[in-house]
Amino acid sequence: MPESAMIELHELEVRYGAVPAVRGLSLEVRRGVVVGLIGPNGAGKSTTLLAIMGAVSPRQGDIRLAGRSIRGRDTDAISRSGVALVPEGRHVFASLSVEENLRLGLVGRRSRDGVDEDLEWIHGLFPVVQEARSRVAGELSGGQQQQLAIARALLARPDVLLLDEPSLGLAPTIVETVFEALARIRERGVTVLLVEQRAQVTVAFADRTYVLSNGELRATLTPRDAGDTQRLVAAYFA
Amino acid sequence: MDLQTILDAIALGALYALVGVGVALVFGVMRLVNFAHGELITAGAYALMLANGWPDWASIIVCFATVVALALLLERIAFRRLRGAAPATMLVATFAVSFLLQSIALLKFGPQGNNVSVLPGLNRAFELGGVHVRWVTLVSIAVTAALLAGTALFLGRTSVGLQMRAAAIDFRAARLLGVRTNRVISLAFVLGALMAGCVSVLVVVQTPFVSPSFGASILIPALIGVVVGGIDRLATATLGAFSVGFATSALGDVLSSSHRVYLDSYVFLLVILVLLVRPSGLYAPFRRTTVERV
Amino acid sequence: MRVPSGVLQLAAPALLLVAVGIVGGRASPSVQIDFETALVLAAIVISLYCFVGNSGVISFGHVSFVALGAFAAGVTTIPRESKQFTLPDLFPFLQRTELSNVESLLLGAGLGGLLALVVGAALMRLSGLAAGIATFAVLGITHNVLLFWTRIGPGANTLSLVPESTDMLQATLGALIAAAVAFGYGRSRSGRLLRASREDPAAAQATGTHIYRHRLWAFTISGALAGFAGALLVHQLGSITTEQVYLELTFLTLAMLVIGGASSLLGAVVGALLVSGLDSYLGRAENGVHLLSVNVDLPEGSRLVVLGALMALVLLFRPTGITGGREFSLPLAALRRRAMLGR
Repeated sequence: MPESAMIELHELEVRYGAVPAVRGLSLEVRRGVVVGLIGPNGAGKSTTLLAIMGAVSPRQGDIRLAGRSIRGRDTDAISRSGVALVPEGRHVFASLSVEENLRLGLVGRRSRDGVDEDLEWIHGLFPVVQEARSRVAGELSGGQQQQLAIARALLARPDVLLLDEPSLGLAPTIVETVFEALARIRERGVTVLLVEQRAQVTVAFADRTYVLSNGELRATLTPRDAGDTQRLVAAYFA
Repeated sequence: MDLQTILDAIALGALYALVGVGVALVFGVMRLVNFAHGELITAGAYALMLANGWPDWASIIVCFATVVALALLLERIAFRRLRGAAPATMLVATFAVSFLLQSIALLKFGPQGNNVSVLPGLNRAFELGGVHVRWVTLVSIAVTAALLAGTALFLGRTSVGLQMRAAAIDFRAARLLGVRTNRVISLAFVLGALMAGCVSVLVVVQTPFVSPSFGASILIPALIGVVVGGIDRLATATLGAFSVGFATSALGDVLSSSHRVYLDSYVFLLVILVLLVRPSGLYAPFRRTTVERV
Repeated sequence: MRVPSGVLQLAAPALLLVAVGIVGGRASPSVQIDFETALVLAAIVISLYCFVGNSGVISFGHVSFVALGAFAAGVTTIPRESKQFTLPDLFPFLQRTELSNVESLLLGAGLGGLLALVVGAALMRLSGLAAGIATFAVLGITHNVLLFWTRIGPGANTLSLVPESTDMLQATLGALIAAAVAFGYGRSRSGRLLRASREDPAAAQATGTHIYRHRLWAFTISGALAGFAGALLVHQLGSITTEQVYLELTFLTLAMLVIGGASSLLGAVVGALLVSGLDSYLGRAENGVHLLSVNVDLPEGSRLVVLGALMALVLLFRPTGITGGREFSLPLAALRRRAMLGR
């Protein structure tokens, strides 16, 4: 059923100068599922997300969003057509208030309807965002900033949410909060592409997980593989 | 210093501040120091000259239209290509564009300069607290105050203003959120151009004479002021430009006539002394490193 | 036999300068002037390169050192008897002083370096962008003082009757000296640290490199070179006004550096020679010439339009300049390496 694919990558190739970062990557993310993308550092995970956002331009291959090619479109246009990225390092606007950061999430939103309801739901996911709304974002802790970044992306009401290592450098309790929130985001029917270093948690959580190494697809795992440490390790170092 | 000296100084400071805001708005979203901002001012003055004989309101509209059109044209054909280039490259590139435009003006209108006049009535004086004050002095101050307040409201209270601030802080992140960066940059150029147009009109009222270096002679001291104040924040950049204008006018009044020819030197010397004492900028709150943020 | 690659990096620009000197020496007298001008401009651009190329900071103030060197060397070499009449307001010690050609070149270098050291001490603390813009203040001061202070120079009048001691030989030697000093600084510890800081200011600071100190050092040396080149210039022209060493020269020399490629000595030399040649051609074309079988008669002032457009185009389409910022290296060496790998 190709029409149910939300994101399709076909033979994607990205290079930084002469260095290939992603080579011939083809994968598919179906509507409403959570797909994990794991692999060692430098495997090309972040580059894949940036390529989908149009922030790096592929040398070859195609990127499709709900069946339509979006390769070569401007980043801001892609973001306004229902794809939101929570970038690595969060990139909240440190000198703006939490509320202003959230308001910037509205820029990518396609419809003005239901903002209040969404806001209420988001505040339910991340109470801290509501509590800190008049503070300057730069004063928040790393975990709070991560929650703000996800909240901001959700306010765009995306069809697809791309997350780049949301648990990086966070305390275990915050990681738990983030994954709980992801579960509820999934319940809402948002398609999620989750880049992570935490292999076991990701494989267990995602409906399907791709293992990337050296810019190539090495293995496809399902939640059943999460307990199979040997298979995980083998896939990782394949 | 009497009231007249102070009012004149505030008025010149206000003009420089308008130039400073225009430059700093564009710098904010693009990290580009636009030397050609001076030629926008020059273009406005030449537009006023070409519209000579028209009713004042009409020539002022022509002036603004010319300045805005030139700003958008430069952004589209030249500066857009420079996005993401090294700061030094951008600096020399806009310097080249500025020089090119000056040369074109030189070729077209000649080096001698031309007479131009708009709203001459504003040069009339009225009495205030025992001193004579020209109307244009008050108008300069009022226009600047209104434009600065308008800019602050626009940036602080509107969604587009918020997007512009976000783009100034983290361009890529703003883009990832869907901020139409081309539009935001164009808007910054348009706002800067509107202020440049105001400067054209206000300066022409006072010195009804335009030559190819008309705008550059205002831009360069204002730009030095922007740098002294601190270019990476709109408020400090504006204050810095204002301070240089204020100091120039006030010193000009204080210096004896034999020293007045060295006014530029005194002002620039003051700037260098200030930088010796406060290398991070006159209005910078504190400084962690000398490493550039960009 | 191995030649250190560093020597080649000096040899290529040096040979180029010598070649221009030799070709120019055989040209007709009317064209010789253009060659001399090209060599003197090359010396100025090399001085600019010495700072800009190593620090990555643009300087709009270098022409102030050129101006200081030119007027100092000019005023001190005009014969005493004519100074009484042409420059009556001069300070008595300047009236009395009459230096030789070489002494005046050294004076130009010394004063240029001194001024650069003094203003650099304040300006080089700024961030790169701000430092570059603030150097405009130096240009403003120098121009303003030279224009009005008749106790040290001609003021708004032309400084004339300066001995025309910069012939083709002196122009060539002068440019070579400038190239050698700039090359030497670039190879020094300070030069290498400064270039490293240009690539990554944060890392340089983290490793304890004092960017300020090295920037100031580079600024001083290049200020001295600029003062020296200014002295060469005044001795080539024989007469000079303050307007000749102001904004137009600032633009022209920056254009040369950028068009050639600001980060290599070769780029500075190639840019200076090429743009200078084009400039001379356009200058003649403004007066109407028959060149290359085309009748050219450009309106006055079009020279600057062409140069401005050229510089803007290079910056927009090839921001690293025509040499791409590379120093000269023999393609042979690369071939040999490849051949060895092949075996």
